[in-house]
Amino acid sequence: MPEIDLQFVDEAIARLGNRRDVVIPLLQAIQGHYRYVPREAIEWICLQTEITPADITGVATFYTQFRHRPVGKYIISVCHGTACHVKGASLVQDALARQLHLQNGEDTDSEGLFTLEKVACLGCCTLAPVIQIDGVTYGHLAPAMVGEVLHDFLERHQNGAVRKAAKIVKPSGELGEIRVGLGSCCVAQGSGQVHERIERVLAETGAPAAVKRVGCVGMCHQTPLVELVSPGGKVKLFSKVNADDAPAIVLKTFKPKGLHRRIAYSVSRFLDRLASDETGDSLARHAIDARDPPVCAFLGPQKHLATEYCGQIDPTDLDEYLRHDGFKALRRAIEELSPEKIIAEIDLSGLRGRGGAGFPSGKKWAAVRAAAGELKYVLCNGDEGDPGAFMDRMLLESFPYRIIEGMAIAARAVGAGEGFFYIRAEYPLAVKRIREAIEICERRGFLGEKIVDSDFSLRLSIKEGAGAFVCGEETALIASIEGRRGMPRLRPPFPAQCGLWQKPTLVNNVETYALVPWILRNGAKSFAALGTAASKGTKVFALAGKIRRGGLIEVPMGVTVAQVVEEIGGGVAGGRKFKAVQIGGPSGGCVPAELAETPIDYEKLAEMGAIMGSGGLVVLDDADCMVDIARYFLRFTQDHSCGKCTFCRIGTRRMLDILDRICEGHGKHGDLELLDELARQVSAGSICGLGRTAPNPVLSTLRYFRAEYEAHLAGRCPSGKCKALIDYRITDDCIGCTLCAQQCPVDAIPFAPYQKHAIDLEKCTRCDTCLQICPEKAVVVEPKGEGGRGKAEG
Amino acid sequence: MTKITIDNRELEVPAGTTVLGAARQLGIEIPSLCYREGCDASASCLVCVVKINGNARLAPACATAVEEGMMIESETAEVHAARRTALELLLSDHLGDCLAPCFFSCPAEMDIPVMLRQIAAGDLRGAIATVKRDIALPAVLGRICPAPCEKACRRRELDGAVAICLLKRFVADVDLATAEPYLPVCETASGRKVAILGGGPTGLAAAYYLARAGYACTILDENAELGGRLLRETTPEELPREVLAAEIAQIARLGMEVQLNRKINAAAFNDLCGRFDAVLIAAGHAAREQADAFGVAATTKGIHVEHGIFRTDRPKVFAAGTAVRGKSMVVRSAADGKEAAAAIDQFLRGATVTGQIRPFTTKIGRMEGEELLRFAEGAAPDTREEPTGGLAEGYVPDEAASQAVRCLHCDCRGLHACKLRKYSAIYGADPKRFKGHRRAFVQDAQHAEVLFEPGKCIDCGLCIQIAAKAGEEIGLTFVGRGFDVRVAVPLDRHLGEALQKVAAECVAACPTAALAWKASRGVDLAD
Repeated sequence: MPEIDLQFVDEAIARLGNRRDVVIPLLQAIQGHYRYVPREAIEWICLQTEITPADITGVATFYTQFRHRPVGKYIISVCHGTACHVKGASLVQDALARQLHLQNGEDTDSEGLFTLEKVACLGCCTLAPVIQIDGVTYGHLAPAMVGEVLHDFLERHQNGAVRKAAKIVKPSGELGEIRVGLGSCCVAQGSGQVHERIERVLAETGAPAAVKRVGCVGMCHQTPLVELVSPGGKVKLFSKVNADDAPAIVLKTFKPKGLHRRIAYSVSRFLDRLASDETGDSLARHAIDARDPPVCAFLGPQKHLATEYCGQIDPTDLDEYLRHDGFKALRRAIEELSPEKIIAEIDLSGLRGRGGAGFPSGKKWAAVRAAAGELKYVLCNGDEGDPGAFMDRMLLESFPYRIIEGMAIAARAVGAGEGFFYIRAEYPLAVKRIREAIEICERRGFLGEKIVDSDFSLRLSIKEGAGAFVCGEETALIASIEGRRGMPRLRPPFPAQCGLWQKPTLVNNVETYALVPWILRNGAKSFAALGTAASKGTKVFALAGKIRRGGLIEVPMGVTVAQVVEEIGGGVAGGRKFKAVQIGGPSGGCVPAELAETPIDYEKLAEMGAIMGSGGLVVLDDADCMVDIARYFLRFTQDHSCGKCTFCRIGTRRMLDILDRICEGHGKHGDLELLDELARQVSAGSICGLGRTAPNPVLSTLRYFRAEYEAHLAGRCPSGKCKALIDYRITDDCIGCTLCAQQCPVDAIPFAPYQKHAIDLEKCTRCDTCLQICPEKAVVVEPKGEGGRGKAEG
Repeated sequence: MTKITIDNRELEVPAGTTVLGAARQLGIEIPSLCYREGCDASASCLVCVVKINGNARLAPACATAVEEGMMIESETAEVHAARRTALELLLSDHLGDCLAPCFFSCPAEMDIPVMLRQIAAGDLRGAIATVKRDIALPAVLGRICPAPCEKACRRRELDGAVAICLLKRFVADVDLATAEPYLPVCETASGRKVAILGGGPTGLAAAYYLARAGYACTILDENAELGGRLLRETTPEELPREVLAAEIAQIARLGMEVQLNRKINAAAFNDLCGRFDAVLIAAGHAAREQADAFGVAATTKGIHVEHGIFRTDRPKVFAAGTAVRGKSMVVRSAADGKEAAAAIDQFLRGATVTGQIRPFTTKIGRMEGEELLRFAEGAAPDTREEPTGGLAEGYVPDEAASQAVRCLHCDCRGLHACKLRKYSAIYGADPKRFKGHRRAFVQDAQHAEVLFEPGKCIDCGLCIQIAAKAGEEIGLTFVGRGFDVRVAVPLDRHLGEALQKVAAECVAACPTAALAWKASRGVDLAD
């Protein structure tokens, strides 16, 4: 192993300190520098700081962010979120491993170019299946495309992103506004390039408009989305814009003044295209009207509270936030209301925790306020880790001031002077925007000492998570902030009494804080007027899966599953049949299509065996195997168990063993009863929320789809998903085009031009490539062992 | 003071008492593995769960403080089922043999490893006591047994099985050659009488163990001398008759009546049933032909008995050995005699007749290759040697000691201290209920006195806590997360470096002997 220069470690220690609680930031800095955590660095830290070998080893091996071996030049992250899973993420992963010739669990290719890793969720659910290579996102993948993708990535990298500086032309007169959504998922879809291209066009032509980045619009199925607002306030919306179309769209609405400028630009092919029919087409293709039925349906039932002004305001422009009533609620909380009054208001509003469990926020705040002690803390739980959920990321990225304001009001109410954001390290943009917003707030007197000239002070800072889903559990989150392994502990005592550094601590979720300013501005009663008897206000959901229109939505509590799926989402895509929605991610359950009239609120979902959870909502169709879905979620929670208590550490693994053997066709008589009993005991006996809710996906599918489990026990997967229980076969529709033979990654289909092809089932890995590639739809999936019969008939 | 109710019994305890502590005051033993007085409760094993106020969630008693009016359920079917599951889950990932493979492959279930350690330590008096606890005719069996125990010996695949059978014979021969051969202490005479038909290995063993248990035995044999199939099926070269005679004499010394040349017909059998409190048919496979005369049901193989209990369908009549099995190894017959004696004892004491209860154990199962080499790391290097004086002579003491020390100590060093085993036995936990993928065996033997077997660890973290509190420089830590979390020495150091101050405390705290004294359970007899 090469010698490692430890100078950076010394610098990091000098910058971050040598106390035991800085171990996570220290390891993060080291990995940022060396791209992994070298053993030498760990040893050096033990010598130079108060951190012990036991501490640092425990922490460095607990959080999956930390790598202990050097990695390839580029890292390929394969998203295994729910939406990606149902759309074939594991097939993509297998294809990449084959392409890179990875064997026996290797993760880096022999040239050290690419390292392949699984990630829980990249939060680009509407692009599923998705991979990211060093920050570049590729969506809608298929196994057959991976070679091309790697090639494309390397080509981009070799060409580099060198840009010529453009000549800047300043526009004159009244300006229009061009809003480009720049949430992480929009960026993944290409809105960054669109934004850049528009800036360039404006600079080069002096077109009378200013480009503005805005937060998430929520219409992920339409991204990149560009909104043009004329000086008169007229709005035009363009969807699925790509960078090449952007100039035409802009110049058509905002014509540059002066002929010379137009001539100057006419060399560009864009203006040529502007005149051509082709461009006309392209404009028509992209233009959508907010009154269009689908858009109406998508936006109609929504109610934007946490996401107020979505798609309209620049996330980090404080002045714009102030113009939109920003910090009015905080002023009211400081100048007009006593802490007790604030809590009474929150209590009256009926607000409940949006992190999933739905604990009444007013009660929690009152408990922290009532707890003895001068020193108290407020924490913002931004460790959103459910696969298929990215609401909190969107809120943090798009409305950083709103969340800060909510936290400040909470701090004022409970009597805290210091607070922390705990944000997943996988959300770099969220971290960046919150950091920027905190700095600006401190400069402008909304944070720090004597906020808005009162006696109220609040310091906020950020702690980045390190890849441990369980840290979304509040006691684990606290352990993580303290620099320990993120192990939950038994409650009581609750954090309200004994939290961060044993002090009374308020822990609320991002969305909960985001709703607080609205409540104080509009009154508790307005909030309570929305929703159902026990679940007030709105809830933000990430709608994804087998649906026409996916995205982020905010709806009043009490809308039905059917409204969300059919009305907002436009129903199931691809002519398939709606089967169920999975609500609440790995802690939640499936609501079957027959119960789609169920109103979405805390109690009703619990009755169904699902939970509100943090708000992932994945639509499943008849091609989805419910046993596989249960196994998928259980594998996730099992993988994220902290490993402390027996029921969760071993119990979830044994449940997974049973599900594995059922999916592999080795299920035994009595397995369903054993699974059911164990699931209930794991749920009853685990000490934290992760273990208690981990069995939910299994219990709810056992409840509503037991026949599917029984079919598996009989060796059949009704949806044709479980590889061990299916065969692929080529039917008589085959015209002998040889595409499948060429694409088959394991040469299981002999090359036979103009003849009916056949699949060698011994070699076949059920990767689905032939089925996807066949232009004649001549490849079918059928239950294992029935191919012989098929042939006999043919 | 806080007033609470546990299993419908009210009591008052000081505020802050845990449910575990409160239950103890009522004499309710809530099982717990990870809890230790003086350490922070980790609430990780969850074997101590209780139900509180009818809540669907169960709570760990070790970390739950009492609250006024709390209603606690401890000894209910639901709570017990959850505790059993917790134990079974721990067992499903527990890599260790409570009792060695040789123990279970010996039909008589003799504690072979303990005998071997006693021989190695020169404690031959202790060794014969160990042997005779389960085998009444060791000098005999030491000559004619096919030694299934040696087939299961883990050392067999490395450099030959430990010479268990010859060593047992060595122990017995040495004993018989002493002026006062070993005699067990018998229970006080109960006044109950047992008739035993047949003086072969089954009948002799039964007589020995019944006599030990305080019963007056009468052996009735149709032949002119005792020995049964031992006389018919062996040559004097294989089994010198004086050895057989000496060992039978040792049994007879416990006090019993022997009636030779007694043929038992239906009338005589009925008479026995009238005069004795129990009758054991141990008259070999020929007894099958007399089933009608004895008034008991039979199958084609032999007399029909309840499996493991040896009870026939006729009241107070038992049958064992080849009378039941048709044919079997001699050691199987001897084991049957011992087990039937246990069943008869239960019957005569008026207890539930269960037969001999198999001791609880977890099993690693087969090991080979690298894994087996790792397992045998640090074992005595001697290879298997036959007696220099020839098989007929047997080992001399030095040879015996150096052969005995070859034992790999497969049985657990913490057999009697292990809380997992203790509660698994009490709660009837089935180690195979959640059988999963078996981990590979690893051990850290680099500490001078303490052996660390991570496969036995239940991740309670007590040792980590104790080492951290004591300021051990290297100490111990959890490595990894979730199912794969393991207690380990950080930075790839070894246990000797990790525990320089508090090794003894850690061994004492370890609930499953994952950390154990290398030399423990050397010669202890109690089980």
